[in-house]
Amino acid sequence: MSEKFGVKVEDIFNTMEERFRPEGAEGVDASFGYDISGRGRWKLTVKDGSMKIEQTDDLGGCAAVIQADADTFVGVNIGKVDGTAAFTSGKLSVDGDVGAFGTTAKLFKRFTPPKKELTVGEYVLDMFGTLEARFQTGAAEGLDITIGYDIGGEEGGQWTARIKDGKCTVTEELVPSPSLTMIMKAKDWVELMLGKVDAVNLLTTGRAKVEGDMNLATKLGELFAKYTAPGEEEEEEQELLVLKKIISVNQKFATGPVMGKYLNGLKEKKILANKCRECGRMQVPPREVCALCRIRCDEFVEVGPKGNVRLLDTAYYASPDPLTGETRETPYGLIYILLDGCSGQEVFAHFLRDDQLDRIEMGWNEKKGTIVRPVWAEERTGKVADIKYFEIDE
Amino acid sequence: MGNRVAICAMAQVKNEPNVWYQRFQGMLLDCLEPILQQTGVTYDTDKGIRNIVTCSDDVFDARTISDNGMTDVVGAHFRGEEKTAQDGLNGLGYAMACILSGHDDVVLFMGHCKESQTESRNMSTNLAYDPFFCRPVGMDFLNVNAFQARAYMEKAGVTDEHLAEVVVRSRENAAMNPFARESGKVTKEDVLNSPFLADPIRELHAYPVTDWAVGMLLCCEERVKEFTDNPVWITGFGNCMDRYFVGDRDLTSNFSLKKACEKAYGMAGIKDPKSDVDVIELSDAYAHQLPMLAEGIGLAGEGQGGKWIESGGPAKANVNLSGGMLNGNPIMLGGVARAVEGYIQLRGEAGDRQVDGAKRALAHGTTGGACQHQTVLILEK
Repeated sequence: MSEKFGVKVEDIFNTMEERFRPEGAEGVDASFGYDISGRGRWKLTVKDGSMKIEQTDDLGGCAAVIQADADTFVGVNIGKVDGTAAFTSGKLSVDGDVGAFGTTAKLFKRFTPPKKELTVGEYVLDMFGTLEARFQTGAAEGLDITIGYDIGGEEGGQWTARIKDGKCTVTEELVPSPSLTMIMKAKDWVELMLGKVDAVNLLTTGRAKVEGDMNLATKLGELFAKYTAPGEEEEEEQELLVLKKIISVNQKFATGPVMGKYLNGLKEKKILANKCRECGRMQVPPREVCALCRIRCDEFVEVGPKGNVRLLDTAYYASPDPLTGETRETPYGLIYILLDGCSGQEVFAHFLRDDQLDRIEMGWNEKKGTIVRPVWAEERTGKVADIKYFEIDE
Repeated sequence: MGNRVAICAMAQVKNEPNVWYQRFQGMLLDCLEPILQQTGVTYDTDKGIRNIVTCSDDVFDARTISDNGMTDVVGAHFRGEEKTAQDGLNGLGYAMACILSGHDDVVLFMGHCKESQTESRNMSTNLAYDPFFCRPVGMDFLNVNAFQARAYMEKAGVTDEHLAEVVVRSRENAAMNPFARESGKVTKEDVLNSPFLADPIRELHAYPVTDWAVGMLLCCEERVKEFTDNPVWITGFGNCMDRYFVGDRDLTSNFSLKKACEKAYGMAGIKDPKSDVDVIELSDAYAHQLPMLAEGIGLAGEGQGGKWIESGGPAKANVNLSGGMLNGNPIMLGGVARAVEGYIQLRGEAGDRQVDGAKRALAHGTTGGACQHQTVLILEK
């Protein structure tokens, strides 16, 4: 196969029945032959609004026989090659009744090639194969640089783009000390080029590295046109804009007596739970009511300060602290702790000391997790951060 | 099945400028407990509350899906809960529909809003508008209502003096309402000299920042005696959404209010609100809206708002004896505060401001800039 349009000659014939339009076959009573050089011969018979296609060397009795090479035949069928031009240039010829052959145009719906998902390796090859073509001369004025691409993994490879005198040459090698080198795995590179992941994400999570001139890195988007996968028609550019806005309205939150008592407790290095006087369960941090018993919870009990870890999750994307607007360093560990004095699901969430992420064992049912203790801030003002984090009790 | 829905109980906290000492959760709890006490209603899923309608606003609560902040407090866990993010009067209409459909016997309604929580009410209502055009030109409910005020004052011969009278009367009435915000009495001169916020709206023409919470228990006709001997009946409800873009609307036509009234009046059998309704409560967030809304519900003639004020129209028709929204109720709950006054009046519990023999009340609520969405609820004894 390997017709240049990615469609086989057989695909055209094998889909004829499903593409057949009986309304276009009205009054047609004839056979047509297809002689595709190097691929074989097919005979199409149309009668009484139905059709039959068979691969056969016997094209006897056909009103017309078309002759073409595979690329031309496929190209005409999928609309990539102009049929009239192919006919006049002789790439496609018809033996017999040319007029009768014209009626076949109405017999079928247009063949649409199924979308093919490329493998990572195929994408990588296509992306670097098209890099020169995507080069934007206008943005490269005065530049004399080399960009290295170190794409790891089995499906990766190494490339260098040399940009000089408004020209871009891509070679399959990594030259010594390029102006800028991008290092990542093939899968990440493909996702980046397809817009499925953004560069900042890759960089902050350590999945990509950039060495050399960082300013140059920010200009890459101008130096090369966006990659489009083969077969994906380039859509006409529309006047679509995206506006960036920060929505910010300052707020102040009253604590009320319940949350107020809890937060004030933190100042005194006390962790307070409130206990439902009906069902006895503990809530930490305390809430106005026990939602199960639907009564106010006004009995406060000091719990902890130690407890055992029930769950640990490692956060790679931090939401900013709502009170300070600051974003936490990642990765960090968020733990559910069953504080001493609490039981069952009465867990409490806080941070884990940064360097102890891989030393935590989680507990469940009767099994205790790693015992942890709070590390208190020097200056405590009645907020969650009065406990800096929990650390292993050792 | 009966075709009326009763309000069996109501409880509220006092309207205040800044409830700095409590979360809204605590405010709601202060409303819920008296309701449970007064009625003896339980959360039994056969016989008690199995559906709760709440009213709150995401931006004012600074919490997306704002009802999640207090479902525990209102007892909503393990049963139905639905949130109204419009004037809470629509929540009462929704609760009514739940009962009339036979889906529920008993529905609890709980609403809260702490306007003081946001540093700027205007910045919050600015977010009601689209990010491309209306927000960048600074539209918020204040200056969009100023458009309306300008247009309406022209149309109906309403003057700065008229508006001052409306404000003075609002504050006087509120002084007789123990749950009203203590905004203080003012003189006409005070109003006429108060600074412009958005000409022609002066500071004293605009409802002040207010925190409030309220709850009501609604029930079907058959079971009302289980909960109260003194029910107030919901006999009419209507609402209507007008166009969003301010430029698409005649801001003074009361279009959506008239539609809402048609529906509510038809349901309650009201022919002429002037003679058929004893107590009228309008959500006048801004002073010019009192005469304008009075036109909309058919109390004042079209374009006659100025004359209506001059002739003592508001007092004659018992309009906003509570003090009205103008004295201070939070956004989202203006209409519910109106229904609360209707409820209190019809039960004969309004003290110094009681309308003798009040049998029918009209409560009005509105959502959006320049009264885009309008709601009317009719209550009867």
